[in-house]
Amino acid sequence: MNRPDPDSPMVEVVQLARCYPGLVALDKISFTVNRGEIVGFLGPNGAGKTTTLRILAGYLAPTSGTARVAGLDVVRDSLLVRSRIGYLPENVALYPDMRVIEYLRFRGALKGVYGRALRVRLDQLMESCGLVDVQRKIIGFLSKGYRQRVGLADSLLNEPDLVILDEPTIGLDPNQIRMIRNLIRSLAPRHTVLLSSHILPEVETVCDRVMIINQGRIVASDTPANLTGLLKGNRCIRAEIHGPLDAVRAELALLPGVIRVEAGNLPDGWVRWVCESPKDMDIRPDIYRMVSRHPWGLRELGVERANLEDVFVQVTRNDAADDARDFRAAGGPSA
Amino acid sequence: MRRFLTLWRRECMACFLSPVAYVTMVLFYLVASFTFFAAVLYHEGEVQSLNILLYSAILLWSPVLVTVICMRLFAEERRTGTLEPLMTAPVTEWEVVLGKYAGAMLFVLVVLSPVAGNLFFLALLSPGITVVDWGAWLAGGVGTILMTGLFVAVGTLISLFTRNQIVAALSCFAALWMMILFGHLLEQSPIALFYRNAEWFAVVTHLERFARGLVDTRLIVQYLSLTVLMLFVSVRVLETRRWL
Repeated sequence: MNRPDPDSPMVEVVQLARCYPGLVALDKISFTVNRGEIVGFLGPNGAGKTTTLRILAGYLAPTSGTARVAGLDVVRDSLLVRSRIGYLPENVALYPDMRVIEYLRFRGALKGVYGRALRVRLDQLMESCGLVDVQRKIIGFLSKGYRQRVGLADSLLNEPDLVILDEPTIGLDPNQIRMIRNLIRSLAPRHTVLLSSHILPEVETVCDRVMIINQGRIVASDTPANLTGLLKGNRCIRAEIHGPLDAVRAELALLPGVIRVEAGNLPDGWVRWVCESPKDMDIRPDIYRMVSRHPWGLRELGVERANLEDVFVQVTRNDAADDARDFRAAGGPSA
Repeated sequence: MRRFLTLWRRECMACFLSPVAYVTMVLFYLVASFTFFAAVLYHEGEVQSLNILLYSAILLWSPVLVTVICMRLFAEERRTGTLEPLMTAPVTEWEVVLGKYAGAMLFVLVVLSPVAGNLFFLALLSPGITVVDWGAWLAGGVGTILMTGLFVAVGTLISLFTRNQIVAALSCFAALWMMILFGHLLEQSPIALFYRNAEWFAVVTHLERFARGLVDTRLIVQYLSLTVLMLFVSVRVLETRRWL
């Protein structure tokens, strides 16, 4: 197959494995990414994220298995695949002796964008990546954030079908992170995005789908919402109550469905209570009614929402037996 | 072709737009010219081909020049990580290797040509020299280009094996000097008496032959094919990087 197939999924990975001497970096992973999706790759350091992205970008060859981009094999049709993707490597490496505009022109020419088309594209990207002010600066003198943006602009130069971003927001300040996030989100309908990250809230807000990879295997793949729903265990309710400690504790423990109660003093004399209850029961109305029968105060009542961080910790913990035993759902580290 | 030209331009920029380039140019010119003029003075009163002295001086210093230029070609890209964006752009390994080779080669030629031009100065300065054999001078130039072409190809190959520029530089320097000296040793040794092909390794003799005005097509073929071989191996080495 030597022509891109418009009906095939954007990325199709089947039984992909990659070994380094003495190390299995990828252990026969399979996944697909549909057109227009933003998919996040999550995993601890050394899990195989970068290896997977490098194989898709045509920088590494797989030991076994196949990877297809738009129906094209990344090894056999490497050149065609590379002309259809934009890749931002993990440590954005640029030529420090070139000016920003020179570098982007050079990269554009390498990717087969010339002349007027290149000029128009460059103007757009300078604007959207916030590079207008630095276009005449020498890359070696730019800050990390600007370099990251130059790399990002570079990866979008050829209007790629698939954008592969390896930790795009690493080392950026919160404003820059927000900017890059918005930029990534704006790519969504026209481009497919595959990004890797350690930063969980980022993946949660940006991605349609998350794949968690650990020790060379995909251990979870779903929407962020479904993934957090997957968590085993109980639900935790958070309530801030002003009242005598022992009395409140006794009353809370008496409520139907409450399994466990935990108190945490707040600096202003209030107490934050965390009550664990079965997942299918909502004890919040009961807590409200209980407090209102007493001359106590209630100022906050909510569910401690499980986040992707908890899922991440749960599925990437390497001792699976421990995992099932003492992972408390919904509460997470913050409770 | 267009991508090759893009890569070549980038390589020329990297060569010419760095302070190292100008230091190299000036120092090489001074050192090689001094060597040439010193040799001329040393042989004063003898019958000696000026061309041979000129091109020997260049050959003597060319391993240094080639080493300085070639050590950064791939070693630097690998160390700084720029090889990754480069090789994930839609370019072939041939385009990358040839682009770098051509860039380095152009720089070498730009550095060498003023030294070769020293013969003009000498002819102008000393009234004793009435006839200069410009044909032989040209032939010597062709020989020098062929040899440095091979040297640069060897340097390109060596710089592919390491990400450390010092290692690349030392290996390249050693390899080039071995190439030059090995042939000379072989030619002077008793082996040459019954192994006539020994002269095919003698770089110095080859250059002298060119500088005498003898353009030997066998030598042209020999140097060109060795250069192509080195570049071919370089491409293969660059390709294997994906599998390692």
